[in-house]
Amino acid sequence: MSRTLKLLKVCLSQDMSLFKIKSKKASKTSNILVPVVFFLIIAVYMGGYAYSLMEQFKPMNQQYIMLTLFTFAFSIITLFEGFYKSGSLLFNCKDDQILFSLPLDKKTILFIRMFKFYAFEFLFNSMFMAPSMIVYGVNMNQSWIYYLVSIIALFIIPIIPIVISCIFGFLITYISSKFKGKNLVQTIITMSLLLFVLYYSFNMDALMNMLSNNAGTIDSFICKYYYPVGAYMSMVHDFNIINLLIYIVSHIVIFAIIIFIIGKVYFDLNSKMKSVSVIHNNKPYVIKTRSRLMSFIKKEFSRFVSTPVFITNAGFGLVIFVAACIAVSVKYDVIIQELVSKMEGVSPEVFINYIPVGLMALLAFSAFMTSITSSMISLEGKSLNILKSLPIKSSMIVLYKVITAMVIIIPCLLLGDIIVFIAFKFDIVSIICALYASILLPFIAELIGIMVNLKYPKMDATNDTEIVKQSMSSSISVFLGMGLAMLSTAFLIGLAMLGLSNAIIQIIYLVVFTIIALLLWLRLTKVSDKRFDDIQV
Amino acid sequence: MIEIKNVTKKYGDKVAIKDITFNVEDGDIFAFIGHNGAGKTTLIKAIVGIHDFNEGDILINGKSIKTNPIECKKEMAYVPDNPELYENMKAIDFINFICDMYDVDQETREKNIHKYAELFEVENVLNDQILSFSHGMKQKIALIAALAHDPKILIMDEPFVGLDPKAVFDFKKVMNEMVKEGKIVFYSTHILDVAEKLCSKVAIIKQGILVKTGSMSEVKGDKSLEKVFLELEG
Repeated sequence: MSRTLKLLKVCLSQDMSLFKIKSKKASKTSNILVPVVFFLIIAVYMGGYAYSLMEQFKPMNQQYIMLTLFTFAFSIITLFEGFYKSGSLLFNCKDDQILFSLPLDKKTILFIRMFKFYAFEFLFNSMFMAPSMIVYGVNMNQSWIYYLVSIIALFIIPIIPIVISCIFGFLITYISSKFKGKNLVQTIITMSLLLFVLYYSFNMDALMNMLSNNAGTIDSFICKYYYPVGAYMSMVHDFNIINLLIYIVSHIVIFAIIIFIIGKVYFDLNSKMKSVSVIHNNKPYVIKTRSRLMSFIKKEFSRFVSTPVFITNAGFGLVIFVAACIAVSVKYDVIIQELVSKMEGVSPEVFINYIPVGLMALLAFSAFMTSITSSMISLEGKSLNILKSLPIKSSMIVLYKVITAMVIIIPCLLLGDIIVFIAFKFDIVSIICALYASILLPFIAELIGIMVNLKYPKMDATNDTEIVKQSMSSSISVFLGMGLAMLSTAFLIGLAMLGLSNAIIQIIYLVVFTIIALLLWLRLTKVSDKRFDDIQV
Repeated sequence: MIEIKNVTKKYGDKVAIKDITFNVEDGDIFAFIGHNGAGKTTLIKAIVGIHDFNEGDILINGKSIKTNPIECKKEMAYVPDNPELYENMKAIDFINFICDMYDVDQETREKNIHKYAELFEVENVLNDQILSFSHGMKQKIALIAALAHDPKILIMDEPFVGLDPKAVFDFKKVMNEMVKEGKIVFYSTHILDVAEKLCSKVAIIKQGILVKTGSMSEVKGDKSLEKVFLELEG
């Protein structure tokens, strides 16, 4: 047992470097300050949001529903995230060789990997859930027992979503191990699963409407059918030590059972995933000269397509964008009716009139939420030294990475654009503006991504998922993107409320974002050489 | 010519190499030896421009790696101790990528890739993914990529590790051919008997300080290089 704990300690200290700052002394303060301030902003925002939600339930004296919604929402998010993280966090890691060579039970290694996954989700969820629990506790004058139960719930609530997503991760890995193109199959199944879940969550309107009409029903629905939240809420209302013990023990037992079951085939499956097809390609090899840019894009693209979590993470938003464009084009009358019913006093013509602005907002969300470059430096790992030894300026390498990301993103955005252009017969100004936005907005997102990754590189990850989903760089980029997308939409709505024409709104919007892009570009060209050269592997 | 002038590199408060000064002339095969952690890799990474250094300067054919890194790197090729290549790429794509970065024309790269792929007997696997290769195979691909652009200076960190005996034999011939053309081969190694027979010059580093340098005959005198090294280490 002590060996397992020692190994766990080593693995956690090695891999949980989301909270470990590597930097030169001079910039250490700013390097620590930025994420701390950043996380504080999120915590304060979540606290504020929890408070406003509580206020809505106050007239009915049902403030506790806020807690139910928060804990359930983050269980769903953990589950959803886990679908595409679990497979690559558990299998085919860089530290396989060392761990499997140690005199340890294979289940111990599985436990360590699942625990690392759990530890990250616990920290991540705590950042969001803890503020809501504190807000509730303070406002409702709760006793210390409430805080004790809530702290325990913070630890317990991520367990079931992690267990479920690990089962899915295991099944996806098992199926893909049967195929020659394992990575491709893994990507397709994961993406299909996510789209399936998303499709059905969008088609739960009737159920959600029924539930939202009666807040009490939501609460009872969640508490009745989802034990981790239901038991927590029950203890908030009526504490019972026996229930608390059952709550803790049942989750630990479920965690242990799943380790026991998957552990039986873990080593074999992991070995299958590591085995590479060594069938020789008998075609004659091609020696071909390309430009530096094309060669670099080819190299980066091959890295992208060989990393399932990278494709899923980046591709998901783009697939959603194209799907949304198709949905809006095909079912626009239904969508507009829905919007009209929710916004009294606004006629359908207003929505139809502002479709080009709506497309701009949709483009902003898709572009800002898709940051490929935020992982690109970290994914180099030790091979970064190959790039550093090349006779190319570091700033050019950084630029090539940004261009590669845009080459991946822009075609998807253009595809969505074209569908909407045809469906709604856009005028020439709107077409030009949308096309320009489809280049400008991903450019901004990727500039931000690469700057964040240069500032917070993670060069020693044991698998790609830690970089793409759990690194400081990807986390900051996601939240910055989210913030920027919301600000961008608010800006568009603000301009529309001034009564400006579509063309003027789009032009003002694009001018502002062009200035932002230029400022970011100037900043990047100023710092990229030094930051790139400072990364040591 | 490589001129290493009073180079000091620190990692935080720890001094990795201190006040290192020596020259490597055109036509030298230069062995850089020292115990594990002596600072060999640190100096090599400084020479090829991967790591910055705190004091001193390194000149590559008269140009400073600090102020003119691109021009310096154009003349060099670097083979790391542990070839961390792009595993998702095919071997030929990786070699093509390196050639593209050095602007190698089609004729030169065809000539060199065929020549070295044949020499290291890897022609039949160039279309395979690097992921499926052993350490030695990766080392061979790294060597072909390094040699494909006809570097004037070849810098390697323990290049023989993982290579099979025939590849070592063939590669020593390549090194000799290079220096006959006035090029430089500079490498770190622990295989002292090979260095003794192959190299014209040697430098010995101990705990980040250069303890001896010069021609092989000057450094070892009547003794073996191994004996001299062990005496200095002792």
